Amino acid sequence: MLDALAQAFLGSPLNEWIQATYWLWPVMEITHFIGLTLLMGGLLIVDLRLLGLFPSVKLTATHKVLPLVLLGFTLNLITGILFFIGDPMRYSVNVGFQIKMLLVLVAGANAFLFHSRYWLDSQSSLSMALNRVDERIVAGLSLCLWTCVLLLGRLIPYVSTG
Amino acid sequence: MFEALESTTLAAWVGESLWAYPGLLSVHIIGLAIVVGLFSMRDLRLLGLFPEIDTKLFLSLNKIAAIGFVINAVSGFMLFSSQASIFVQSTPFLIKMGAIVVGMVLAGIIHFRLGSGIANHVTSGTKLVAAFSLLSWLSAIAAGRLIAYL
Repeated sequence: MLDALAQAFLGSPLNEWIQATYWLWPVMEITHFIGLTLLMGGLLIVDLRLLGLFPSVKLTATHKVLPLVLLGFTLNLITGILFFIGDPMRYSVNVGFQIKMLLVLVAGANAFLFHSRYWLDSQSSLSMALNRVDERIVAGLSLCLWTCVLLLGRLIPYVSTG
Repeated sequence: MFEALESTTLAAWVGESLWAYPGLLSVHIIGLAIVVGLFSMRDLRLLGLFPEIDTKLFLSLNKIAAIGFVINAVSGFMLFSSQASIFVQSTPFLIKMGAIVVGMVLAGIIHFRLGSGIANHVTSGTKLVAAFSLLSWLSAIAAGRLIAYL
């Protein structure tokens, strides 16, 4: 699937523009780093609270940082897609990139499932509150998965085809 | 002095081992996410975002930020050791170091102000410090990324 995508992007106008614009790559990298900072900074607050740290802070208060987490994710989704279009043959065959994408999907599903349940719960008069063990598993998984995403992303230039 | 550092066993290991350099870079990005992630959330809170969060929370979070900082000071020093004489001549590297020093001093000032001030009352002086802090960490990230290019 990645192969077909890479072939489709190769030689496209956007691909050629990214390749030809010398300042674009470092600017996208800096943006990608700022995005990961917002994502992880926000998630640390939300997930550490769910794990039981600083219990005096309301859970609903920590959730106010989630728009920044989404902003960071969006910045990185956009710059990430542009990296791929700019150098498709490098990423499509890179095992670090492949596993990273898989983990982003798993981490995204983990967050989406949790927050949709949380939202449903807050909308409902019936109490189907998530139990504390569930919350801790979701939060721990979230921090572990995103940490692995960062590690793998940084390793992309150093690992080879898979 | 920097050549001497480069000829240490540590520097040789970082430079020659297949996995040391990429491994240290990976650790460095985790530290970056912790330190700059938490400091940027703190600064944005002080600048007026998410007023629902108690400013004193960031006093507790500073302990975690400190762990991130130690991770990056150690991994950063090891990365530096392998090519010390090249790094000290790199303008982006020197700007990055300057920005980190400024960011850490401002973190100290903010920590003191949060500890001694009234909870959730952010003075305009503290807001100004937070704005400069955010700017210094963004500069550190940008300059760090540019080391590879300039």
